[in-house]
Amino acid sequence: MEITEDIKEARDILQVILKAKKLLRMYPPNNPIYLKTLEESFSKFKQFLDYKDSFTINIRQNSILYDNEPIYSSSDKEDNLALFFFKDGLRELSFKRGLPRDELEEFLKILTYDFEREVFDEDIVTLLWERDFQYIQYVVDEAFLVEEEEENYEIVSEKKIKEKVTDVNDLLRAYADGFQEEEYKGIAIVPLTDKDLKMLVEEIERDSSDKMGKLVSILFEIIYQTVGKADIEDIFAFLRDSIKYCAEHGEISMILEILMKAKEAIEDPSLGEREKKYLEMLNYYLGSEEIIKLFAELFDSGVDIDEEIFSNIALFFEKNSIEPLVKYLGELKTIRARKIIIESLVLLGKKDIQAIAKGLNDERWYVVRNIIYILRKIADRRAVEYLLKTIRHNDLRVKKEVIKTLGELGGKEVIQSLRECLDDSDMQVRITAVKAFGNIGTETAKKILIDKMSEKSFRDKQFEEKKEFYETLARWKSEDIFEFLIKIMKSKSFFNRGKMFENKACAAYALGLIGNKNAISILEKFIDSGNKLLKDYANIALKKLANG
Amino acid sequence: MDKVERKEEKEIHRTAQDVVNLLSVVLRTAQIHESSNVAVTTAIDKFLGLINYLISIEDSISLGLIGEFFYLNEIRIRYSLEYLLNFDYLIREFKKREIGKVLFKQTLKPEDIQVLLKAFIAAGFSDSPYETFYEFLSGTEKIEVDRLKKISEGGEVDTRKIIKKSYYNAVSFTKGVINKIKAGEKVNLKKAKRIVETMVDHILEEEKLLLGMTVIKDYDEYTYHHSVNVSILSIALGQRMGLSKRILTELGLVALFHDIGKIEIPAEILNKPTNFTDDEWKLIKMHPLWGVKAILKLRGLDNTTIRSAIVAFEHHMNFDLSGYPKVKKYHELDFYSRIVSVVDQYDAMTSSRVYSRIPLSPDKALSIMMERAGTQIDPLLFKFFINMVGVFPIGTLVMLDTKELGLVYESDVVFADRPRVLIIINKDGEKVNGPVVNLTEKDDNGKYLRTIVKTLDPNKYKINLAEYLL
Repeated sequence: MEITEDIKEARDILQVILKAKKLLRMYPPNNPIYLKTLEESFSKFKQFLDYKDSFTINIRQNSILYDNEPIYSSSDKEDNLALFFFKDGLRELSFKRGLPRDELEEFLKILTYDFEREVFDEDIVTLLWERDFQYIQYVVDEAFLVEEEEENYEIVSEKKIKEKVTDVNDLLRAYADGFQEEEYKGIAIVPLTDKDLKMLVEEIERDSSDKMGKLVSILFEIIYQTVGKADIEDIFAFLRDSIKYCAEHGEISMILEILMKAKEAIEDPSLGEREKKYLEMLNYYLGSEEIIKLFAELFDSGVDIDEEIFSNIALFFEKNSIEPLVKYLGELKTIRARKIIIESLVLLGKKDIQAIAKGLNDERWYVVRNIIYILRKIADRRAVEYLLKTIRHNDLRVKKEVIKTLGELGGKEVIQSLRECLDDSDMQVRITAVKAFGNIGTETAKKILIDKMSEKSFRDKQFEEKKEFYETLARWKSEDIFEFLIKIMKSKSFFNRGKMFENKACAAYALGLIGNKNAISILEKFIDSGNKLLKDYANIALKKLANG
Repeated sequence: MDKVERKEEKEIHRTAQDVVNLLSVVLRTAQIHESSNVAVTTAIDKFLGLINYLISIEDSISLGLIGEFFYLNEIRIRYSLEYLLNFDYLIREFKKREIGKVLFKQTLKPEDIQVLLKAFIAAGFSDSPYETFYEFLSGTEKIEVDRLKKISEGGEVDTRKIIKKSYYNAVSFTKGVINKIKAGEKVNLKKAKRIVETMVDHILEEEKLLLGMTVIKDYDEYTYHHSVNVSILSIALGQRMGLSKRILTELGLVALFHDIGKIEIPAEILNKPTNFTDDEWKLIKMHPLWGVKAILKLRGLDNTTIRSAIVAFEHHMNFDLSGYPKVKKYHELDFYSRIVSVVDQYDAMTSSRVYSRIPLSPDKALSIMMERAGTQIDPLLFKFFINMVGVFPIGTLVMLDTKELGLVYESDVVFADRPRVLIIINKDGEKVNGPVVNLTEKDDNGKYLRTIVKTLDPNKYKINLAEYLL
């Protein structure tokens, strides 16, 4: 049979549809291939519709017909355009003259959906219906909506309903009563007014708000009315789902509301113990990896998050949240997100120092440093035993953080490790250790520093390090330290005078910090010193003393 | 035509709605003021601005009335909440004057509209309104008019068949869903959406026919019919309130599942032929709670699930929260819940069911509901509802002043007390099956041919509505 020009063109259109179905899925709308494919499809349709009023195709399970001629056929189950349309009940598609590009693009985009593999609430007919196309019409066979065994439901039901034929005598009785019954008084229909419409608009506007909150309220109402264990288990599961849903949608204030309601219910003496136990478990779900992961994604997404609300949520975290929080702390990309997690861990820390300390074994140096920071903020001495194990960490940044933290936590057990740090090969580590002793502030700490400063090798240290020793020592402000510093100021040397002047300059600075005015007379001796460093620091110290 | 068609769909509908709105404003203002009044001339200028712009693109613009809907150059104009009153006004005034179409042929001047106004006002007082209107319009060549056409009965029969099919598909689907949930099987929500979309389409196109289906009450299949009826009535009410297609679908879906909690109630209780004991009532009153559970178990949370669960919980709570379940802390009912609550009460009252074996006649149900408006029922939504179903809802048994007995077949959007009636006993007291008469029809003297004088309870006479209305 001779193939007409129309059939050829119809086949060409089918081919561009097939091509578009593949390519528009692969490329974003601004990609040249996407644009070219769309343009090609549009011009094929336009070419056809310039001469015809419409392009109508009939759809069968494995073929597509134009004017009763097959223009496409496939027996494939996966990649079969006919079946793609057919399975949802689509039986005819018609494209009318004037089809705009936008409408065609929308249509082709629908074809790119993989309804089998992806989770959709819509099928192809629903998507066509929702788009409300003006130039694309379709015919649908609704029969597939009905189960096979119910195919004759309409016929059977109708027959059954109609079987009960109204008795003529009953009808005639009604007719007779019609002359007897009271005259119809009826109900008055009050016509709608502008005020009614205004009220309705307000209602509709108000309606758009907070459905999740409503559902949560309902779930808590149900908790009070549950009768069996299975009921409360269900409601507990729904509350968990609600938390997850809110975390997925960034509705953290709603999560807080759920938790607050749960807390309130737990404290309510009228609620049963069994119910309370389930509600208590919500906090464990909140801290599960599933939810923490969602929080982490949310924080990293750049969505505006009210940190105060999250801080309040963090108060509900239980110990189980620590591990996932630590895990995601290392995976977060933004400083802001890490900050939020760190603050949560600080809040949580006291509940389980050991769990937090596990993070010290993390391979990523920045995670370890963050954990040390968290332990420092928690300020619980139980952390010391874990921190001491980290003091020899390879990364200097970590090492300094540990020393600093140990200094703040103090205690006898940290002394030896910190003392060893005073001999570290890295000056910054040594300086941090000096500061740590200063923070410890005990007589032992003081003695260790003085001993170190009394060593012959001390004067060979760089000025910056020496200054740190003196500055730290000044924190004690005690008489013996004062005397120690005066002694340094009075000391004399013939050799290495440069180093001696450095020591004196540092001592002068420390005397200024101590604030004992008895130091004025000795400091004044150096205000015109030939050594610039000593002269400058003596003057600084005197100014400090003068200013009180 | 082409140019307008190429506009975005929304823009077209918006423009079409504007035409109806502005014309209504012109006519309304002219009925209050002298034609030279500034309020009238300003309204005319606004209307001319739009209509002349459209004429410049389209050559001519026709505003037609078919059934209860306006068409602008063959495109059906969607009901708009914003212009609801003006829509109703214009439909009423067109019908009153038997105007089916007004064609604006050329660029119009204020004088042309003044002619239209004179024709319009004069026709309003005439016994032969259309003829008067037609005659007055001979004063301008730019405006033509066509008489209102009756909807052809033949076409209606086919449409009725299609709608009946869709209705039973919906009932059958609902039955399947309920059975599947009972059996713990998965439910295909895509199909549910498709079912509801079809109902939304029918409500938008053939509202009265689909509403007519809700009168079919099958006692044995009550739950399924009721679920579908509540869905249809909710969509219809939503449509009256100008809700969008997408929202109507959501509302219809939510309404379809409002009673899903009843699957937990043992069949022997639900189908009990005698009154419920207190314990049985307790179980019945649990179905809103079980509904929440059933819905939330059906699938993961999303907007539709959340709204469905809310409606399942709230649909018996009453506007003043006096119903059940009783709650500890609560604010107001959800908007969808209030819609479903109104239509649920109406359908339940007019059905033979567990709570009440003998159904009420539709008009009786409405009068009871009217008493409940403001306490158990949202008064505003009830006002919309009653304006939708009319004084004589479909299925009402009526005695006419012509000594004919009939069943209300379709309500009239504009003339609430003048529905279409199927005659079942003629004036000679003989049983007949038809015709369907329109109570808005008048004789040559402008008097109505038929008027309802009495209503009777079809249940009292065991009249099987399905026999007549299906």
